[in-house]
Amino acid sequence: MQVKPATVSLFDALLLLLLGGIAVFIGYRVAVQLNYQWNWGAIPQFLFRYDAQSGRWVTNYLTQGLLTTLRLSLWASILALFFGFAVALARISKSLYLRLLAGTYVELMRNLPPLVIIFLFYYFLADQLLPFTGSGRINAETHPLLAAVSALFFAPPAQLTPFLSALVTLAVFEAAYVAEIIRAGIESIHKGQWEACHALGLSRWQSLRHVIIPQAMRRVLPPLTGQLVSLIKDSSIVSVIAIQDLTYQGTQLMASTYLTFEVWLTVAALYLVLTFPCSYLVERLNRRVNRLV
Amino acid sequence: MITVRDVTKVFPGGVVALDGFSLDVCRGEVLVIIGPSGSGKSTFLRCLNGLDAIDSGTIIIDGVALDKNEANRLAIRREVGMVFQSFNLFPHLNVEENINLAQQLVQKKKLAEATASTHALLTRVGLLNKANRYPDELSGGQQQRVAIARALALHPKVMLFDEATSALDPEMIGEVLDVMRDLAAEGMTMLVVTHEMGFAREVSDRVVFMDHGRVVEEAASKDFFTKPLHDRTRDFLSQIL
Repeated sequence: MQVKPATVSLFDALLLLLLGGIAVFIGYRVAVQLNYQWNWGAIPQFLFRYDAQSGRWVTNYLTQGLLTTLRLSLWASILALFFGFAVALARISKSLYLRLLAGTYVELMRNLPPLVIIFLFYYFLADQLLPFTGSGRINAETHPLLAAVSALFFAPPAQLTPFLSALVTLAVFEAAYVAEIIRAGIESIHKGQWEACHALGLSRWQSLRHVIIPQAMRRVLPPLTGQLVSLIKDSSIVSVIAIQDLTYQGTQLMASTYLTFEVWLTVAALYLVLTFPCSYLVERLNRRVNRLV
Repeated sequence: MITVRDVTKVFPGGVVALDGFSLDVCRGEVLVIIGPSGSGKSTFLRCLNGLDAIDSGTIIIDGVALDKNEANRLAIRREVGMVFQSFNLFPHLNVEENINLAQQLVQKKKLAEATASTHALLTRVGLLNKANRYPDELSGGQQQRVAIARALALHPKVMLFDEATSALDPEMIGEVLDVMRDLAAEGMTMLVVTHEMGFAREVSDRVVFMDHGRVVEEAASKDFFTKPLHDRTRDFLSQIL
């Protein structure tokens, strides 16, 4: 891509003036008309607070929410990648049964609002399926080690069951998109590559494993990373089933402190902390792939 | 070596690519197939190794029938090497890995063993010094020579060349034809679809002229160019020579 030299025309200047005017107007409305009392000083204590009992600084609501979002996104991403990969393979399978099954799943997930999916899954998974995993029986008294591991990597034992439910929901939802990205990548490989494999006597699986998928993965890495950024953003919907993620903590804090603007601006900044590095990575990967292909 | 009887291939949409096509090829014979585009030359080669399925007729290669039997089909794919117009090298693997791959996966050779025979093949096509290069670092002629070496790695009994030089710049055609010439001299059974009449005249034993999915004329190459029997053959030759 060619980089154009940056010049400012009269139109640009007018546009800038207009945007600046709008910003000033909103600022004025908030400051004067709304009579809003800014109180940024109250926010840091919700990130970290000093625990007088233990004499240490500990994480507070917002940081805990950020960590929950991070854990949730991380595990859901890993799960979505594996599941999405399997679904992609099913979608290009020779078996009509597998193709229909995977196709139905993908279409269903892509045509339902995530909020509806999360409610459906939450009440079904959490109530019907997850009790069998025994996740609800872990507590700090009987299984101190398990409880500690759970708190570090997933969620405190008391919230483990809804956390797992949210995790599975997110993964199942995002896996549909991951599957479509991977399938498109596999189908974008020139059919001459399949034919060369065929002529060399490779089986279908060997062709996929050694020739087609390695090439497809290079092409899908940027959109796949982009999908993971989406997953981090989409994870905010789990706040409706009382997972204490960043958005949930935001709503709670707002309700108890009335610091609407400060809380949500802070929450937005914290999400950006998570998503910007990923987006930057996508940009870098895109440039590298464009150079290669 | 190869027996083809009454083979018919109709593409979806009703295009008849092969229309009762029959042909015999002897062991060690070099056969050149020529014909106008759309005459079914490439389709015939693709049917021979199962890339395209035939609708009716029989194909028998070295005593194995190319039928619905998966084991037979696999056996034929492994005994018939194919070189494509567009090379179809694996771009994510270097030259050595390209040639190693089928030896390791199909012949189950160990890496060292595969690499040894790969180096022998690369020496044969004059590209041993490019073993660690990637396909996009090579010229078209070099890529096609690697593709030939890759096809030879499984010790095929028959080699199919589907317009192997058509995508090449003129100055690179010679180096690929040289490799094919050497192969013919070693006694490889070869079916060559080409527009290189010089190669046909000089290297091949027999020339087959195809049109509309049928054999119009076949003759020993020394007779074919000097005494063509059919008007259509004469027309075609006058257009390209």
